[in-house]
Amino acid sequence: MTAYIVRRLFATLPVMAVVALFVFFLLRFAPGDPAAIIAGDDATAESIAAVRAKLGLDRPVVEQFLLWLWGLMQGDMGVSIFSNLPVTRLIAQRLEPTVALTLSTLFVALALAIPAGVLAAWKARKLVDRIVMGFAVLGFAMPVFVLAYILVYIFAVLPMRTDWWPLPGLPVQGYRPIAEGLWPFVESLILPSVALGITYMALIARITRASMLEVLQQDYIRTANAKGLATDRVLLLHALKNAAVPIVTVIGIGIALLISGVVITETVFNIPGLGRLTVDAVLKRDYPIVQGLILVFAAAKVLVNLLIDISYAFLDPRIRY
Amino acid sequence: MVAIADDLPLPPRRFSLGTAIRRNPTIAFGGILLLLLLTVAIFGPSFVGDPLKIAPVNRLRPPSERWWFGTDQFGRDLFTRTVYGSRVSLIVGLSVAAFSSLLGLALGLACGYFRRVDGIVMRIMDGLMAIPSILLAIALITLTRPSLFIVIVAIVIPEVPRIVRVVRAVVLSIRSQPYIESAIAGGTRNAKLLWRHVLPNTLAPLIVQSTYVCASAMLVEAGLSFLGAGVPPEVPSWGNIIAQGRTFFQIAPWSILIPGGFLALTVLAVNLLGDGLRDRLDPRLARRL
Amino acid sequence: MSAILEVRDLRTQFDTLDGVVRAVDGVSFDLARGETLGIVGESGCGKSVTALSILRLIPPETGRIAAGSSIRFEGEELTGLSEQEMKRLRGHRISMIFQEPMTSLNPVLTVGTQIAENVTRHLGLPKKAALARAVEMLDLVRIADPGRRVYEYPHQLSGGMRQRVMIAMALSCDPQVLIADEPTTALDVTVQAQILDLMLELKEKTGTAIVLITHDLGVVAETTQRVVVMYAGRKVEEAPVEALFDNPLHPYTRGLMRAIPRLDVEADAAGTRPRLQEIPGLVPLLTRPIIGCAFAARCELATDRCRTTPPPFVDAGGGHIVACWEAKP
Repeated sequence: MTAYIVRRLFATLPVMAVVALFVFFLLRFAPGDPAAIIAGDDATAESIAAVRAKLGLDRPVVEQFLLWLWGLMQGDMGVSIFSNLPVTRLIAQRLEPTVALTLSTLFVALALAIPAGVLAAWKARKLVDRIVMGFAVLGFAMPVFVLAYILVYIFAVLPMRTDWWPLPGLPVQGYRPIAEGLWPFVESLILPSVALGITYMALIARITRASMLEVLQQDYIRTANAKGLATDRVLLLHALKNAAVPIVTVIGIGIALLISGVVITETVFNIPGLGRLTVDAVLKRDYPIVQGLILVFAAAKVLVNLLIDISYAFLDPRIRY
Repeated sequence: MVAIADDLPLPPRRFSLGTAIRRNPTIAFGGILLLLLLTVAIFGPSFVGDPLKIAPVNRLRPPSERWWFGTDQFGRDLFTRTVYGSRVSLIVGLSVAAFSSLLGLALGLACGYFRRVDGIVMRIMDGLMAIPSILLAIALITLTRPSLFIVIVAIVIPEVPRIVRVVRAVVLSIRSQPYIESAIAGGTRNAKLLWRHVLPNTLAPLIVQSTYVCASAMLVEAGLSFLGAGVPPEVPSWGNIIAQGRTFFQIAPWSILIPGGFLALTVLAVNLLGDGLRDRLDPRLARRL
Repeated sequence: MSAILEVRDLRTQFDTLDGVVRAVDGVSFDLARGETLGIVGESGCGKSVTALSILRLIPPETGRIAAGSSIRFEGEELTGLSEQEMKRLRGHRISMIFQEPMTSLNPVLTVGTQIAENVTRHLGLPKKAALARAVEMLDLVRIADPGRRVYEYPHQLSGGMRQRVMIAMALSCDPQVLIADEPTTALDVTVQAQILDLMLELKEKTGTAIVLITHDLGVVAETTQRVVVMYAGRKVEEAPVEALFDNPLHPYTRGLMRAIPRLDVEADAAGTRPRLQEIPGLVPLLTRPIIGCAFAARCELATDRCRTTPPPFVDAGGGHIVACWEAKP
């Protein structure tokens, strides 16, 4: 097992290398003159030259790449063009809200989507199934920011501007660290998590249903029923454990959705996390920050996939490493 | 044996639109919805006014008989802008689907067929897949001047690996089929083999996958424009309209909810079409999702 | 001997795209306490559906037991029980083993868990005691080193061992009736014999009555006391096993017998044995009601009466009954 984990860990290296190469050479092969674009429309020749020097575009590519890679291995991702602060520090400062948002979304999504998918499969082609799948189809088409604004309208605008609206108001701006108390922290995450999680939930509910449907036709489910086991045991142990591998796979694939959604959700709800940092950096064309963020997000995704691969061994005893 | 076959009359098979719709409700629903939206995108702009015309007197008007979808903070008519916005969404969706399918098909065939190409290309694809698509697009856009073309390119790149994987998987599974092995043993040329046997088999999953790519591209484009990193602000796209509606959302929620609703509806139509096609063309895949 | 299980006029139907399939069409039989009853017929004759019907395991989305059918277990009518009451019965007082030991065990749970959960469910034993019972049961079905095997997963066991596990599971709550649906069909011939011997031996020990469903007349001859022959969803003949083999009355039963390879028939002068004969024709479609005798289309003795009027059961004495107009008891 340990040997397998180590081997898989090494297998992530080429992937991360491709990511690093990509973000590095993107800057060199981008059409036009990136330095001029980054410096802005009213830039002078000197300021463009300054940006070029900062990005290392004035040095030979190979030399610059090796320098950059060397720094990367020591945790140095360069400095921001505008603030001159180290990218690593900027990212570290913004890490907490994003991690909190992602984890709470993951929790909410899994806690709702898996039971919904199991229910839909159990009651296949019945009303519950149609309702769940209807929501899944809608959720899958719903852009994160549109849902986010619908939620803001329902939980902030209407409670504030009318007196007949029955639903309570919820915070729609900013993020409260857990240090300020559990409830404010949780409260500030409710709407962002729902907005961010909807597509993910739809995806997981669908795969759970599909995977469960296939498993429920298997002979061993008939055996379990012939033993007179309680329905919940048949569904949640006998069936769900067998259906788990595809579900977990999609949970991993969906992480990409979450990361893309984080950027948008944090913008709508003004959460000072990595997503906001990304948007601010893009608008200022602060490429070193964008570069660093891509590396961090890609690493997170690769890491999640690694965890998923390892989890297969616990879910299916036939898988041996 | 014969006696039994005799008393088994097959029901007469005639094509009827009604039956076709009843058999494939999702294809019909998604297809019709999409056709309507396409019609609006193609012909709509000729019938509405100027999407950029500013009229500060009429700013932030709610939907009414005169302004069906209301106006924004510059007094621009949101109905006009929404109609124009459908163009951007559909252009991006369709061209991303087309470009990434072609590129993905070529790479996928090459990977499935030539071992040496496979190793290198798949490593690159793995790397690209590790980067969330919106971030990859953002990185590209940071370094260039905003334009519709750059947005399309920026979305095509992260979508290609998905297509490559699907095509490659099909090619590999077909190559191991006995009839292909015997064709190879019989000396059929590579090109002929690809053209006659492999390519037709990749089409169904490719079509299905490209509808999903189309839907995803429309969402990414709107997301990019919403973040201010998409098509230039002077081009009315649904994402841009929504982005500009943010400031006054509390008093003019229609400026976000209406174009947002159209975006969701369009994506829904494409997804339904994709689901229907998948159930119809690719039952093996259909069973899995 | 009083009957523990009485099946009367069982009709089980499925909805398919081609119409309603009458998989079981008016089958009746009794099972005495401690008896082994064979149900035999070609695949598709409704014998497995009969078994599933007794436990009411017909998937409700597509199939149903028609009104008027009666299944009485120890005098209690099962068709009227609630699903909850059926669940208490299944695996406890009536249990079942299936044809495919490869796929009938859950691949992601240990065999110990799968046996123990049955015991916990029906006998209320705590986990530890239930697992001890599982070890005991594995020992009973002669699996070596049961203390280790309980912690193994199905894929670590051979086909024969898995069927032993299935038997251990089915018998873990001392059921009064065991329904075995083709329990040996998927196994190697040598293993088949071992499993059958094991079942008979355990039956002697526990007194469980067995319904053995098979297409294999050899298995029937070796293991059962009484036999029901089914064709196209109907019972066509029923007899004590010796009577059936000595004097098969229904043309279909005779056809089945002719299809068994025999060693006791002498080869003729040329050294060739008589060829095995197959029954010509195909089983009728079950989507439309069968008028007359179901076997008429394939029967060499069939007359016009056979094609228009279903034959009643004729008693040939000694518990031997047959549904055929032309049979001469």
